[in-house]
Amino acid sequence: MFPGERVPISSLSSSIDVKARREAMEKLRQKFLELLKKVLNGEEPKMIIPKRTLSNTIYDKERKLLLLGSETFERNFLDMREARKFMQTVLMASIIYEALVNNEYPTIRDLYYRGKHTIRYRDHRGRVEEENTWDEQRESDAVLRDIEVYVGLLREDMLILSKEKGKVVGDMRIRSGDDVIDLSKMGHGAYAIEPTPDLIEFIDVNAEFVLVVEKDAVFQQLHRAGFWKKYKAILVTSAGQPDRATRRFVRRLNEELGLPVYILTDADPYGWYIYSVFKIGSITLSYESERLATPKAKFLGVSMTDIFGDPETGKKPYLTEAERKNFIIKAKKTDIKRAQELMNYEWFKTPKWMKEIDLFLKKQSKLEIEALTGKGLRFLMDTYLPTKIETQDFID
Amino acid sequence: MSSKSVGDTVEKFKSISPAEFFYRNKEIAGFSNPARALYQSVRELLENALDATDAHGILPDIEITITRDKSKSFVYRITVKDNGIGIPPHYVPDAFGRVLFSSKYVLRQTRGMFGLGAKMVVLYGQMTVGEPVEIITSPIGSRRVYAFKIMIDIKENKPIVLYKASWPKNSDWHGTIVRVAIEGDWGRARQRVIEYVRRTAIVTPYANIVMLTPDNEVYVYRRVTESLPPPPRETKPHPHGIDLEMLKMLIKSSDAKTLEEFLIKEFQGVGKVTAERFMRQYGFDPNRDPRTFTQEELEKLAKALKEYSEFRAPRADHLSPIGAELIKLGLQAILKPEFVEAVTRKPVVYEGHALIVEVGLAYGGAIPPSDHPILLRYANKIPLLYDEKSDVSWKVVAENIDWSYYGIQFPAPLAILVHVCGTKIPYKGVGKESIADVPVIESEIENGLRQVARALKAYLAKKRREEELQRKAITLIKYIPEVARSLAVFTRASEPKISPEELEKKLFELVKRRLPEFPTNIKDVKDVVLSIE
Repeated sequence: MFPGERVPISSLSSSIDVKARREAMEKLRQKFLELLKKVLNGEEPKMIIPKRTLSNTIYDKERKLLLLGSETFERNFLDMREARKFMQTVLMASIIYEALVNNEYPTIRDLYYRGKHTIRYRDHRGRVEEENTWDEQRESDAVLRDIEVYVGLLREDMLILSKEKGKVVGDMRIRSGDDVIDLSKMGHGAYAIEPTPDLIEFIDVNAEFVLVVEKDAVFQQLHRAGFWKKYKAILVTSAGQPDRATRRFVRRLNEELGLPVYILTDADPYGWYIYSVFKIGSITLSYESERLATPKAKFLGVSMTDIFGDPETGKKPYLTEAERKNFIIKAKKTDIKRAQELMNYEWFKTPKWMKEIDLFLKKQSKLEIEALTGKGLRFLMDTYLPTKIETQDFID
Repeated sequence: MSSKSVGDTVEKFKSISPAEFFYRNKEIAGFSNPARALYQSVRELLENALDATDAHGILPDIEITITRDKSKSFVYRITVKDNGIGIPPHYVPDAFGRVLFSSKYVLRQTRGMFGLGAKMVVLYGQMTVGEPVEIITSPIGSRRVYAFKIMIDIKENKPIVLYKASWPKNSDWHGTIVRVAIEGDWGRARQRVIEYVRRTAIVTPYANIVMLTPDNEVYVYRRVTESLPPPPRETKPHPHGIDLEMLKMLIKSSDAKTLEEFLIKEFQGVGKVTAERFMRQYGFDPNRDPRTFTQEELEKLAKALKEYSEFRAPRADHLSPIGAELIKLGLQAILKPEFVEAVTRKPVVYEGHALIVEVGLAYGGAIPPSDHPILLRYANKIPLLYDEKSDVSWKVVAENIDWSYYGIQFPAPLAILVHVCGTKIPYKGVGKESIADVPVIESEIENGLRQVARALKAYLAKKRREEELQRKAITLIKYIPEVARSLAVFTRASEPKISPEELEKKLFELVKRRLPEFPTNIKDVKDVVLSIE
């Protein structure tokens, strides 16, 4: 092959991509040809779509997952209130389908731009009006989610990419595309978890557990200090709220490799919610929980009892009185409000979580993970984390 | 005294004394400043032209020309030409040159009261510019054209004929051309003059009116109908409408020899039986010659005539309403609205005089939206332009009516026309530019207005229903091309291929079937969705 020669993208794509692409195309086509046939037969064109609302989000206590309920709604083109959404849905579907056919990897931003155009029409008073197929990405994102639940394909399955956010290092080898990547040879860097983690193949792994760290900075410190080597860990960071790819990747580590997953976040309501998203899923994406959630994930810390101790169990705090004074941050009003909201969620109604939240509301204090490295990186790496895991001092 | 011999189309002329003139016309103003004088002059001449045509069953063709004198500032020449009945030549000098000589001193609804207008214009022109009035006229049926130049001997109150000529007519024109030179102020009168002519055109849709202004603008109002309102018939006064001075004049001009004869002959609604009962009740001698009545007796008679309740109600056939159809045509032609309605109310009695109220309404279209209804007021077909806020119509339109009840939210494109016609109209103030809020008139206007407003409400409701239907249809149809194109994408890889056009048709049929009352003006998706250039 000479430089500058044009090569069909498909021949450069990995074989895994090609297969995924074909499957997604077929499923999408089937579903929308049904709709087209209805139009040709003079039947009402309508889609029955599972509802993605809080009321249709169910907490499955058995499986410890946030799941989509059985409620559905009808999106009928002949329904005044649904006509625009119907148009947006078939428009979005056609763009995704065309991208699949053309061997492309659009991002959700790309989809937004490709579908955004102006409809000019004469209104009931004879004035010429202009209306965009959609105005904001919020609208195109919403119909994309509708298509995911309607067709039963996640966006990753349809080769729609999103920004890579999660990172991983550890003594492990994977196949991504047609390449083998050794996650123990990433230097100071880390492997960015690709937006289609289901296309990753695990080749071999030498680890005892997975540690997920909310904060990217703490992840880097632990990585450079050789934490994962010393303790045989796969080290993952979500860098804040976890994206879908990171959640799916962690889930696969747990499910397919049988590795226990520990999650380390700030000691505040936002940290707790990040943990719960990893563990049971999120409300907005509850339809994906079955594939994204890791029900066995454990909240390692930082817990309120780590800071203040627990007289009931005789647990001693990890921080001294003086350290507490220095590291603790006063909780804000929004933190308090968020904590009260979490108390209402079914999945936080366990004795251990109630104790956590009660203690937080009583002390009105929060703590960042960095406070523990402030006490010394060695303390975090060699005292706090191993002790917590060894003594099973976590919340399940 | 009368001139019946000239023919039916010729007006009755009779002299009345200057004292009577001032009595009758003490309220006449209108020449207070050059701007107002110019406006008033155009008015008087235009009204005379209309009275010479439509009141005689002639479709008016009227030309108004106003020119600015080339050398003298504030001097204007006004020429008004009509195709009316013309003036018999021997009456011309008196008609233009003797104040208080009138063809209109009979009870009948005409535009100008007593025909003073033209003479006031002549007098005013003579006083300010000093040129004689020029008249060219050819009476209907006459084979000649007559020309005059006349001035008024103010002291003697008689015409001075400066020039007189006549020649055989070689066309079939009949009518009158009057030209006067006056001191005026076009700059300040312009807007009112133009508005006056425009409003006149609204209530005379059967007329061709052309006006050339000193700015060389031409305003043309074309005839939109050939139908004229029926000409008013003359009628005798009703006893309830009489006062002492009128009574004296009637006695003076009557040739009746006895009171009984006088009552029966000179009043409407009085027959022999009624006259006898009336005289018995008030103790009048039927055989007295009314000319022998003393002042005291006259006063007693006038009072009795006013209060006796057994006279028949006044008749209205001497009134000339415009008619609902003509009002609608006029509003339609000039305002170009989307909806128009009008009503002519039944005659009512005000102080012994019959009176008719007409109300017209125009909505939407080319009418500019404003915070209040645009009010077009008329009294005996004359537009009233001044003192709008003190007029009874304004009170009704702005205060009595809750427009929101009729589906109107201001600003709205709404115009209301109110025409009050009658032989006695209660004007407010000397300018005769607004009508007083007399209860009977107020309630007539209000009832008329409610009648036309109800029609508007029904129209708006229907329109809203239709718009709602359209809106619904459009809500779906506007997305059809997008949906069709998107769905067609999925058939590209398979057989049979379906074209977006075919899907568009199918979807359009589906929408049509879904909406039971489908708007008839949408025949195709392309009637709604426009291509993007």
